[in-house]
Amino acid sequence: MPALAGRPIAFVEEFKGQRRILFASSAALAAGLRPGMTLAAATALVTTLRHFAYRPDVERAALMSLAEQLLLIAPAFQLCPPDGMWLDASAAALCDGEEGLCRRALEICASRGCRARATVASEAFTARALTRHGRKTIEVVLPRTGARALEALPLDALEHIDGSTVGILRSFGLTSLGEVASLPPGALLVRMGAAGLLVHRLCRGEDDSAFVPTALPEVLEESIDLDWPAESLEPLLFALKTTLDRLCARLAGRKRAAIRITLTLKLDPPGEERVCLILARPSARSKLLLELARHRIADLTLPNPIVALKATVDQFCEDPETQLRLGDEPEGDAALEVVLSRLSSVLGEDALFCAQLQPVHRPEAAYAPKSFHPPAPERGLLADAERSVRTISQSDEVLVQRPSRLLERPASLAVDLDQEGDLRSARLLGKHRKVLAVSGPERVCGEWWADASYNRDYYRVYFEGFGPAWIFRDDRDGQFYLQGMFD
Amino acid sequence: MEAAEARHPQVERLRREICRLQAAPRRYLVVLRTGIRSFDELLPSSGLPLGQVLELWGEAASGRTTLALRALASATQENRLAAYVDGPRQLYPLAAAALGVELSRLLIVRPNAPGKLVWTAVQLARSGAFACLALDLTHTAVKMSLAECKRLSDAASRGGCCLLLLTPPEAPADGMIRLEISSSGVQGVRVEVQRSRQGKTGAQAVIPWPSFYPGEPPQFRYRERSGSTASAEGNSKISPCPIHRVKVSWPRDGGGIARSRPGRDVALPQLGSSLGL
Repeated sequence: MPALAGRPIAFVEEFKGQRRILFASSAALAAGLRPGMTLAAATALVTTLRHFAYRPDVERAALMSLAEQLLLIAPAFQLCPPDGMWLDASAAALCDGEEGLCRRALEICASRGCRARATVASEAFTARALTRHGRKTIEVVLPRTGARALEALPLDALEHIDGSTVGILRSFGLTSLGEVASLPPGALLVRMGAAGLLVHRLCRGEDDSAFVPTALPEVLEESIDLDWPAESLEPLLFALKTTLDRLCARLAGRKRAAIRITLTLKLDPPGEERVCLILARPSARSKLLLELARHRIADLTLPNPIVALKATVDQFCEDPETQLRLGDEPEGDAALEVVLSRLSSVLGEDALFCAQLQPVHRPEAAYAPKSFHPPAPERGLLADAERSVRTISQSDEVLVQRPSRLLERPASLAVDLDQEGDLRSARLLGKHRKVLAVSGPERVCGEWWADASYNRDYYRVYFEGFGPAWIFRDDRDGQFYLQGMFD
Repeated sequence: MEAAEARHPQVERLRREICRLQAAPRRYLVVLRTGIRSFDELLPSSGLPLGQVLELWGEAASGRTTLALRALASATQENRLAAYVDGPRQLYPLAAAALGVELSRLLIVRPNAPGKLVWTAVQLARSGAFACLALDLTHTAVKMSLAECKRLSDAASRGGCCLLLLTPPEAPADGMIRLEISSSGVQGVRVEVQRSRQGKTGAQAVIPWPSFYPGEPPQFRYRERSGSTASAEGNSKISPCPIHRVKVSWPRDGGGIARSRPGRDVALPQLGSSLGL
């Protein structure tokens, strides 16, 4: 939150009945706070200290979110809780080398409001120790030079090793990893056993632990708890922006774009409200999603204040295009999304659709509604240059002429036939109308294996004083029915 | 500069290409041409003007919807989006596809309440995302007030959208241009410019039905009062057969009646592959 910028804050964990400082901000550390200090002592030291309970699950989710965003520059990652991760640097060549990869990673972290340090090394321990305890923001360790890079680091860098092992090393009077590395390994093995040998190997820059990529969660969702119950739109939008930023960053990391997102607003007293955002054109742009959410939430009337919100991506697809073209104006897409979102909130989602032709012969079942996802527009200077003049054309011969209006249910038609069985007249719209012209019959039949089989002879008939109509004779009862009009 | 050019010839080539593209004339869509010459020439701007409301006023089965669909087809063929606000809920998308509409670019809106029809059209037109929009008020008992007409006109102007109003005879609206559409029997559709602030008032034309469809026109047999038989073109050409079968979508291969009886000797044509599914 902006209000906390530069102020002393700390995360607190309860340990054996006492609340102790686990992490502290730079301002708090500068004021003398140290991890492990009790909260009472810390508050006495820094009276303006603000403290929050440490929630490992929330921190891990935030770390995971950041790691997924970093998939933009690395093919895989391995989490190192609570505040670190290993990235697969095999694609460093695409980022202008290993230093470039580090710079790009730090830029991404900075865009999320995180300060970070990065090290490229051949061993996991070397990378972690130098990142956490080294002095440089970016460091690249060449192969087989890990021992030299580690030699100046304090013994605190062995944080994942059993505390008793490190305690023994301290009791020897050792202070740095370089001093440990210079000891004879046989002596360490005799005095400390396998743990001693392991520590010696690590300090010499020899770590054979494998890189195990963390599996990506199947469900893409982000949630946030508000500090205070929100009764107006502004604080909610602030939290929503954070949530959608994270969600879109994760989508971008996976090279995916959202089609449908559900926002769940948790109320206090308990209750919840769901808002569904459906995008006509898949997108991973948080600005657009925030605009849509703002329109939808602004129309809501909620009985209670909002205490938490959750955004879940219900449906996503591959990001169709992330690179803009010359002269492109991506803001134009927002107009379409906003109007569709507004219409679907007022009219209902079913009221808006796009027709998809079905491989069915029965006329009334020949199309099915589906969500409106039009192809991406051709924009920019190149689109104008490349566009060729096109003429209206039928895409396929199978699209024979059909009436522009189809009745929901065929209407029974009273007809007069001549001796040859041809249509002579019919009663239509309250009048007896003479038949001027007939085209047909076109036999449409099918589903003979089911109870709802049909066998119809369709005619396009011109009646006197009326436009062309589409009628059929049903083989089941021999009656004529009006099904559509060529309006 | 020369050194830079020598170092980055590709960059320099791209720079020249950008200059060329920026200097090239841009295409701005001002009118939608339906491709039906007699209809386009009837209109004052030789096409359907964008940013205006155009009223297609006439009886049921007069050809209004077909004309509107041709306008939507021309918009989708320009890679623009089109929308159809379907008040009577009767639009048949197959007909739209046959008239050349790209269905993936056509948004169909069917509000449950007739009172929301005009509001929906205003929202869509004002958004600027759609090049052509048809508002079908047939059989909806909606009679637009002058204020609603003004709102629609403003929305179309602001969004640069060609708004087509399909109104029944009993409830005309206040479009900038009003075309009276009526059926002219087998001859086709008669279109008359009833009102236009840009001239050509009173101009009329008959558009033959076959010219609406890009494909091969069907043939008709029609009966005169005396009982004689002639072709749909209306000349002295006599149709040799009493009833003409429309062209089917698969070739006749001697399958006989089994062709129209699924599950018998001859396999059905693959409709799905024809539809690109």
